Amino acid sequence: MKVIIGYGNELRGEDGFGVEVIRKLQFLIPKDIKLISAFCLTPELILEMLDADEIIFVDACYDEENHYALACSILKNGSNLSHHIQPQILMALMRDVYEKKVDYSIYSMLTCNFEMIEDTQKYYKCIDKVTSFLIV
Amino acid sequence: MKTIIIDPVTRIEGHAKITIDLNEDGSVEDARLHVTQYRGFEKFCEGKIYTDMPALTARTCGICPVSHVISSSKACDTLLSVTPPKAAINIRKIVNLAQIIQSHTLNFYHLSSPDFVYGFDAPKEDRNIFKLMQTHPKMAKDGIELRAFGQKIIESLAGKRIHPTGIIPGGVSNILEIEVKEKLLQEIPRAMKIAQNTLKYFKENLHKFQKEIDSFASFSSLFMAIVGEDGSLEHYDGVLRFIDSEGNVLNEAIDPQNYKEFIGEAVEDDSYLKSPYYKPLGYPQGMYRVGALARLNVATKCGTPLADEELKNFKALGRGKPVQNSFYYHYARIIEIIYGLEKIEQLLRDEDTLSENIVARGKINVSRGVGCSEAPRGTLFHDYQVDSNGIIEKVNLIIATGNNNLAMNAGVKQVAKAFIDPANITDGALNRVEAVIRCFDPCLSCSTHALGIVSSQIELRDHHKKIIKIFARN
Repeated sequence: MKVIIGYGNELRGEDGFGVEVIRKLQFLIPKDIKLISAFCLTPELILEMLDADEIIFVDACYDEENHYALACSILKNGSNLSHHIQPQILMALMRDVYEKKVDYSIYSMLTCNFEMIEDTQKYYKCIDKVTSFLIV
Repeated sequence: MKTIIIDPVTRIEGHAKITIDLNEDGSVEDARLHVTQYRGFEKFCEGKIYTDMPALTARTCGICPVSHVISSSKACDTLLSVTPPKAAINIRKIVNLAQIIQSHTLNFYHLSSPDFVYGFDAPKEDRNIFKLMQTHPKMAKDGIELRAFGQKIIESLAGKRIHPTGIIPGGVSNILEIEVKEKLLQEIPRAMKIAQNTLKYFKENLHKFQKEIDSFASFSSLFMAIVGEDGSLEHYDGVLRFIDSEGNVLNEAIDPQNYKEFIGEAVEDDSYLKSPYYKPLGYPQGMYRVGALARLNVATKCGTPLADEELKNFKALGRGKPVQNSFYYHYARIIEIIYGLEKIEQLLRDEDTLSENIVARGKINVSRGVGCSEAPRGTLFHDYQVDSNGIIEKVNLIIATGNNNLAMNAGVKQVAKAFIDPANITDGALNRVEAVIRCFDPCLSCSTHALGIVSSQIELRDHHKKIIKIFARN
């Protein structure tokens, strides 16, 4: 089963990208794909992912120079555990604690605006593009 | 030298740094925690309709949104002059305790346990959650399971795990379904087993940390918490009680509506976190502590059998006085997890909780309402002033972590003096400076819930306050 997790804070402008993608996907995607939207990634999300054979994370990613560019598998710096942990930590938890290795990828929209949606047209175009890509 | 640290910016909602000031002799003179972010909730809520406040203020935090929803809804109850039906109060209490369980679990298992398992002087590459996953997978799994149980209760009763929408002015929006009740009750024994194993592990290993116990914010201070009418541990409703470091009750039963008569809020130039203090003693002498340690110091009993049994052991540490060592926040949090599970079971078994009468309706009846509850990290106040249409004119929030600001600063200073040797600053010493803050489990808009980076950086300054070294802690 495929699990798609979109996460972010919708009150923080373009940070809500992942959640918006999930909202759109829920009307388009087959029922055997599990969709999860979250404010942030938390350790217990693993329990929702244990039956997955592929996991896709959708997120907004900080980048000052390539606003609205779309990227796959952007790895962010750092490896800190907090309530807003990174996909890599969740996957490491799955591997080490639950002995389950699953393929995963991260789809990101690059943005530097976490206060507002700067260009509504471009922002929703990004959502459409990622959504279209994921339903194929 | 200038260091700019950009951490995963998409998720960071708060920053803090620690400064350590040396005197002319080169030894530690002072150390402070600075919260370097401004959020402005009190200001941008002005002009909103009161019914929006629970949802809006919940966004203050991703860890303890339930506390904000509850304090906010209670403030709105006061504005409407309504008392929610018993079922609604019970559901609110269950959800609040579930959040305390999941938040305390996060602190113990995922943030603090590497220090307990490997020690404060372990190489930093070992002192992290990845190593813990490899060497103690059961512990990591238990943490995930216990936290998931808390989140499941919140989701089942209040709609969403984070930023729940089911708690509203006047009550709650969803009844407790009997199937949900039975499912949750079935899972309590397993959760309790994990909690009791955690307690056992902690107590068995406590002897390894005597130096930290003695020096981690171990000093005299006042304590404040909500207590029930009979002085028992209470997280939802009750009166405010202040005690001093000898255990004398300074104020037995303050109505939270009158908190301003007893709590002042000082502002320091170098931090956006306000410094609340006990007004009768003035600033900064009126330093007090809140949170799990304070609650167990202030309360005379828990009111549930297993927690009461452990409370006796906890209180014995103070030898007749309040427990002053902030390291025991960890101990107090585990006791509160046990209490929370027991209390949730009691409330779920209460037949009134299944009632369909879950909301009291009303219109704006008074212009000011204060909502107060115990959040995982301490007493939380929401104070709203509205016009006759319910439009917010003024907001004052005292966030649980803020109450501990003076004590956290005093703790950072104490640990820096005890462990930092400016001629040879070790990673273990810096880790302890951060770990003392982790004792308080602060939630500086959540960002400090980070392993190994309670602060983004630690600055070492000379006696002219000129920065001589920066330690990037990530």
